[in-house]
Amino acid sequence: MSNNKIEVKNLTKHFGDLHVLDDINFNIKKGEFICIVGPTGCGKTTFLNLLTRIYMPSKGDLYIDGELADPRKHNLAFVFQEPSAVPWKTVEQNLKFGLELKKIPKKEIDSRVENIINLMGLQEFRNSYPHQLSVSTEQRIIIGRAFVMNPDLLLMDEPYGQMDIKLRFYLEDEVIKLWKATGSTVVFITHNIEEALYLAERILILTNKPTTIKEELKIDLPRPRDITSPEFIKIRNYVTEQIRWW
Amino acid sequence: MDNNKIKLKLENISQSYITKDNVFTAVSGVSLEVYDREFLVILGPGRCGKSVLLNMIAGIEKPVDGSIFLDGEKINGSDERIGMVFQKLALMPWKTVIENIEFGLKLKGMNKKTRRETTQKYIELVGLEGFEKSYPNQLSGGMKQRVGIARAYTNSPEILLMDEPFGQLDAQTRYAMQDEVLRVWDAEKRTVIFVTNNLEEALYLADRIILLSKCPAHVKESYDINLPRPRNTTDSDFLHLRKLISDNTDLAL
Amino acid sequence: MQKNNVVMSEAERKSFLLNKIYKILPIISVVLLILLWFIAAGAENSNFPSPQEVFLRFITLQQKPIKEFNLFQHIWISLIRVFIALIVSWIIGIAFGILIGWNKKANALFSPVFTAFRSVPPLAWVPLMTMWFGTGEFPKILLVFMGALMPVVVNTQSGIANVAKMYLDVGTIFNANGKQLLIEIAIPSSLDAIFAGIRTSTSAAWMVVLAAEMLGGRSGIGFLIVRGMNSGDYALCLLSMVCIGIVGALLAIMTKYLERLVCPWTIIK
Repeated sequence: MSNNKIEVKNLTKHFGDLHVLDDINFNIKKGEFICIVGPTGCGKTTFLNLLTRIYMPSKGDLYIDGELADPRKHNLAFVFQEPSAVPWKTVEQNLKFGLELKKIPKKEIDSRVENIINLMGLQEFRNSYPHQLSVSTEQRIIIGRAFVMNPDLLLMDEPYGQMDIKLRFYLEDEVIKLWKATGSTVVFITHNIEEALYLAERILILTNKPTTIKEELKIDLPRPRDITSPEFIKIRNYVTEQIRWW
Repeated sequence: MDNNKIKLKLENISQSYITKDNVFTAVSGVSLEVYDREFLVILGPGRCGKSVLLNMIAGIEKPVDGSIFLDGEKINGSDERIGMVFQKLALMPWKTVIENIEFGLKLKGMNKKTRRETTQKYIELVGLEGFEKSYPNQLSGGMKQRVGIARAYTNSPEILLMDEPFGQLDAQTRYAMQDEVLRVWDAEKRTVIFVTNNLEEALYLADRIILLSKCPAHVKESYDINLPRPRNTTDSDFLHLRKLISDNTDLAL
Repeated sequence: MQKNNVVMSEAERKSFLLNKIYKILPIISVVLLILLWFIAAGAENSNFPSPQEVFLRFITLQQKPIKEFNLFQHIWISLIRVFIALIVSWIIGIAFGILIGWNKKANALFSPVFTAFRSVPPLAWVPLMTMWFGTGEFPKILLVFMGALMPVVVNTQSGIANVAKMYLDVGTIFNANGKQLLIEIAIPSSLDAIFAGIRTSTSAAWMVVLAAEMLGGRSGIGFLIVRGMNSGDYALCLLSMVCIGIVGALLAIMTKYLERLVCPWTIIK
């Protein structure tokens, strides 16, 4: 009926008296790249935990392809701030790991992983172990592992949080490349407004607790985006004002 | 600003570590000068060299080569004129906020009454009144950082080293803390050497930026930043400088 | 002022109930154990004393003390031995642990010998103890002391030796001398390790005292078990065992609260 891949309806969460999320409603189309920004402390961790079913919502829920989101049934992939590579597997084995768990046929696994390795230029690290790599390379592996699953939803929570600016832009370009090549639906959460604007097709701006959606902005700028262009700066200043608490 | 008086001087500093297979050089032949009461930012990519440099100035590590001069005299090891705010905070979890902040004074043998008076002043300066008896694990990231800053300031150092103090904070708390640091620096002017990998942060804070290469670190260039404060990160001059320095920075994958 | 109603979805209500059930489970397991006890005692040809018999034995013991002490007095006697040995072992153990944890020379000197001694279980010392000191109070307490000493030293040493370097760096920045580094930083930072040693030594001491009493003596709860065994009074044995278990659990709870008192930062969230 609708071509919405993800639907969030009336999502509300209370912890006893504490009202964290309040009536959140939004939709995501298949293959869209959206960024979620909000002030510090705006319940985004709670939102993530609801998605992964660590908590259950107090009211409302999330739907993938029209059905209740279920990590066992749906293909959800996550990338967090700290890389989580399996230490006793090589890079190539790590990339295959998620697919093996979902019992995808071997030939398919090999071709998909080979594709990602080429796309990301990871050939020389194929047989290395995570502890031999830098933190940023390890994080790239995690991102590759997530994309290779062709997930229903790929969730990224501040994956580049502590990296320097030059590295960040390199990795952001890489994530856009991966997104375009695989057509995945991506939700990217960040506190960094410049990063959000660089990546997103659409931005959701959250409020403070009780958290709800303040505004949805469509970002129509051509890629690769120029952070010095007046339009970029205008939107950046606008969004910064919307969530400014400092 | 009291320029042209050299407060700290590094001459040909190098640092290497012996690992099980080979020798790893983190810092190679770094020479630089720090002027009295300037806000100097040392900017560099990735994770090596910058912290090591600060550790050597602070006296936590001894350089394998080279010398460090404070006010013209050579220094060897830790010096109480040099204070430090750590990247990982190193707040002692078994001490309350006020006990953490007064730690340096306690080691010097100051009596409790004088200690508390001095410490109270800095607690107010960083805006932590009411939290004196809290433990570090009850505080947010930004608040913990403020304790670290107050602790370093309380000892009245002449040079304040700050080792990527906001690295663990999210982008927005970082903006708040940057304003905080400038405000405190304005109230009590010291020489500050601030290390970061974030170019925007460097441009927001610095009087001068020293750009390091990636490992093994050496000085690439020094930039004087003459923008008036408070600075605007989307201002065209700011963005122009940002592009200039970014093009010169190494990519440390 | 309108009261804010707590909203819970069905899924949340389920998890809330589940958490309540988790709290009841321990009580259920205790009840099941007692039930099992009744069954074991009631089985055919069973000499196993039933709960009623044990309870009766408790009553008669209070009325007719053994060797002039009733049950509670015997327990108290055992506890006194434990407390004396523990206090001494904590003082000596923590001091020694700090020494070999902090000072590399001391560690090199004492560590190998200490490790060898550690491997000998306290009970292996009984023959030598009896030969040197007889069967009075002193050898018993000495035995408990030896059992309690080891965990305290090992844990303290480990805590002191593994103080996070970054805390010591803070001290260095502030120009702390060696003594200050030890007293202001290393020791407070190791308090949780030291308490781990204290907890372990307490349960070790409780076990050793019972064994020491079983091997020769006239008082204490271990003695009661032997008495029961020698006179076929199994109800007495079981009664003693139940008491041992309860006291052991109480001791563990007490040391846990002691730790919270001394180290409040470990529980604050």
